[in-house]
Formats: sequence, C-alpha cells, structure tokens
Amino acid sequence: MKIMYIDTSTNYLYMGVVADNKLLYQIKKDYGHDLSKYTLEEIDKMFNILNLKPIDIDKIIVVSGPGSFTGIRIGMTFAKIFAWAFKKDIITITSLEAMKESVETTSLVVPLIDARRGYVYAGIYDNNQNIFKNQYIKLDDLLSKIYELNQDYVIVTNNNLQINNTINYDPNILKIVKTYQNQEAINPHSVEPNYLKLTEAEENLERNNHDKEN
Amino acid sequence: MKDIYILGIESSCDETSFSIVKNGVEEIATVISSQIDIHKLYGGVVPEIASRAHIRNITFVLEECLTKAHMTIDNIDAIAVTYGPGLIGSLLVGVECAKTLAFLYQKPLIPVHHISGHIYANNLEKRLNFPLIALVISGGHTELIYMDKDYSFKKIGATLDDAVGECYDKVGRVIGVEYPGGPVLDKLATLGKHTYNLPIPLNDGTYNFSFSGLKSAVINLANQEEKRGHKINQEDLAKSFQDVVIESLTTKTMKALKEYKVSNLILAGGVAANKGIRSKFQQVCEENNINYTFPSIKYSTDNAAMIASSGYYAYLLGRRADLTLNPTSSCELK
Repeated sequence: MKIMYIDTSTNYLYMGVVADNKLLYQIKKDYGHDLSKYTLEEIDKMFNILNLKPIDIDKIIVVSGPGSFTGIRIGMTFAKIFAWAFKKDIITITSLEAMKESVETTSLVVPLIDARRGYVYAGIYDNNQNIFKNQYIKLDDLLSKIYELNQDYVIVTNNNLQINNTINYDPNILKIVKTYQNQEAINPHSVEPNYLKLTEAEENLERNNHDKEN
Repeated sequence: MKDIYILGIESSCDETSFSIVKNGVEEIATVISSQIDIHKLYGGVVPEIASRAHIRNITFVLEECLTKAHMTIDNIDAIAVTYGPGLIGSLLVGVECAKTLAFLYQKPLIPVHHISGHIYANNLEKRLNFPLIALVISGGHTELIYMDKDYSFKKIGATLDDAVGECYDKVGRVIGVEYPGGPVLDKLATLGKHTYNLPIPLNDGTYNFSFSGLKSAVINLANQEEKRGHKINQEDLAKSFQDVVIESLTTKTMKALKEYKVSNLILAGGVAANKGIRSKFQQVCEENNINYTFPSIKYSTDNAAMIASSGYYAYLLGRRADLTLNPTSSCELK
C-alpha cells in the first residue's frame, strides 16, 4: 500500500510517500508566494527519485485547509484530479489535525494558523480529543480560552506571532499518514476545501439579509 | 497528416470550461459551467467566490466534456490552458488542473493567452484569413490588433481607461438594470430612440479608445435628470449610449482596416455578442467590401473551445510550458 501525502495549506510544501508504514520520501519547504509555481515540479521530482509512476500510488491524503485560500487549492486541485483520473482513494484531513498529530506531549495541544487582522484558525486538543472546536477566531479570544482551561499547553504553528509556549510546526508525515490512512475515502467529485470561513462578500450578504429580517 | 486533438481549459473569470477541438477548427465537445447566478447576488464577480466555485466544479465539467466527446485523456495530443490575464485565484485552478493532467498523462502543456483565445473563437466559425484586424471587446479589454499570420499579434490601439464591457456594466448599474448590464442595455436599445446627447469619446486620429468620459457623462446626465425630478427613459438612454459606443468602435476600426490595407475583420470577446454592435459592423463591412467573421454567440463569452483552437496553432509552432507554468493576472499578448 503506497500512500501519498500533500499539504499546501500554508506557504509551505509538505509532501511525502509512505509505503507499508515506512516513510520513503518527504519534503518540507517554504515556498512563500511561489508555491503554485513549484508544487507540480516537486511532485515530478519526487516520483523520479522514488522511481515510481503516479499510478503506483494507491491512496492520497490531502490537507483540505484551513489556511491560505489559494494555497489550499494547489494541493486540492492536484489531489482531486489525480484521484478522479486514476480512480484512487482520496482522504482529506484538516491542517489543524495534521499539526496536532505531529506533537508528542501530555499537555494540551493548540494547532494555530495565522488568518491575519488579529484572527487565527485554531482548536484545542486534549489527548487527541478536539475539546475546543477548530474554528476561525480572534487570537485574543483563543488565548482567553486557553488561560481559562488552566492547564499546561503548547501552541504549534509555522507563523511567527510572538506568543508564549509556541513550538515550530514540523510535520511528522509518517505519523499523520499512519493515523488517518484508514479514514473513509470520499468521491473525488465531492472533495472540497475546508476554508473554515466564508468569503467577505458572503459574510456581508448574510449580515445584510439578517439586518433586513430584523 | 495525423489529426491533432487539443484539450482546452478555461477558468480565468467566472466560467469553468473544458473543450476538445480537432485540428484547431473542429469542435468535438465543449462544456461551460457558468457561475453567473451566484455572482448576480453581489452585483459583479467576487474573485474568491469564483475560485471556490472553480475547484468545486472542475472534475464534473472535465468528466462531462470527455463523456460528450466519447474520448479519454489518452486520446488527447496536448493540453492547452489559459494562464492569463484574468483573476489570479480563478486562473490558478485551471492551471493546476492542466499541469496535473499533463504530468499524469505525460502530455505537452500549452500556455494560451486569454485574448488569443477570444480571437481564435472566430477560427471555429471559419479558418482565419490573413492579414486581418481583430477588434477585441470585453469586460477587461478593448483593443485593435493586426495579424499577418497565426500568432503574430500587433497591437495598434487600445482603451486608455475603461474597457467597453466594463463601461456597459457601470452604465447598467447607474440606470438600474440587473448585472451584467451589457446584454440588458443591448436589448433596451432596440426599443429606444437616440434622444440623449452624449459625447463621442476620444474622437482623434489614433486607434485608441476611451470610455470613462462617456461613463461619467451618463452618470451626470442621470443625476441631473433626477435632480430635476425627471425620470430617465431607460430605453432611450440605452439607445443613445449604445449608438455612441458603436460610433466610436466602428470609426476607429474602419480607419485601421483602410490604413493597414486589410480586408478581413474579426470581432472577439464577450461584447462581440452585442447584437447592436454586430449589426452595425455587418452593415459597414458590407458597404466597404470587408470580409467579416463574428464568433458565434456561445463562443463570444469565455469558453474553452477557443482556448483549444488557439492552443492548436501554438502547438504547431512548438510553444510549450513546463510544470512551473504560473498563472498571471496581466500579461502581454504575444
């Protein structure tokens, strides 16, 4: 069983191939704004190094977000087309799940992605239980929630937000794949990004409709 | 010669489209998924909503196109995709899809300029006859282009400010018609009389256009009438506005045909679907012995058939992109 993993939900390319619970290849690279330019080339390079063909992959695990809207669509478009074209299983997981999975600790784990303007995408995990739902939230509100819980915690992120108790996100691709590989596959047609946030235009429209109703 | 089948992909704005075209001229199958009903709620295209809809639709539209054509991607010779200009997030979905298909099936990848696509929409009606003048009129472009052979684009004039389609949409908003304003104004114009006095824009010796002054004139006129307590006659204003637009477009275009000694004209772009503009060009071309081709109405607006047709000639010229092809919101036609 060969499984490909791909996460383009931030400016980083996190990608790898796991075969029979062994990590054959991985790349973790900050591409900044060039992620769309180089992702396919990196995929091509990966297959060449492994001496594999795309069709040899049995299953793809793709990170569906939250994160950069554009970034998410790079990996998701690849994964959707790949799974559709070669009739392969596709599994989606969230970027916050992948982050949580990569940390070994008995403390609370808070995966966090900067959503700008004082907001973040984050959740709180206690022993793999999502005790505070993954959401788009004001950073200050999240921090208040963490203090309220009054337990040891670590925040895992690849953003530089100047907050306490953070560790740098270093994905453990093998562990992520092992944990999620048996999750139920979905039809590639219905695979959709998990933005965790409406577009501003949709939010404004909802607000206006709501105001009209009241 | 072996038949060449090109798969075209277009996602530069609010239409997700795939098409297969044989030898640059014969359309095998085209599927266009329009998001217009979504964007109507917002009075215009919202880029992030468009990008989200593209990724939601992409495999459905691709599958339907292949099913309609009774083909698989193995039967395709090359994949042509719009890489720009357009909305960057929207373009990205099409480009990533094209790169993925080119990689998975080991097919050549051909980058196509969106405007080149609009020009080659005419090639699906009749093989382009060179030399020609192309008048490109859309929501983002107003350009006169001289071509003496395939893929030789010489821009001889362009709008200095608003594109003609943009002007139609803005005027539509001012006089209170539904988005997109262009088709509604075109229809209203057929019912009205030219009663409002509007200035002919940029009435000079160049091949350039300007529509922002005309747009302001319409806005001022509407405001003044409102102040006086008069109700704007939508039909008459539409007719007056459209007449002025047509006058500007035909004057400059006919001048270019004459001075470049060219007897072939093509119209290209979404505004080429405008019936008033078409019928006036038909009339002046016939009066001046100019051969004219207009794209069919369905291929005036964004579609992948035109991208596949244009991609065929790029393919013959050996134009290829590698897997680092990146979408761009603005790029020169070349």
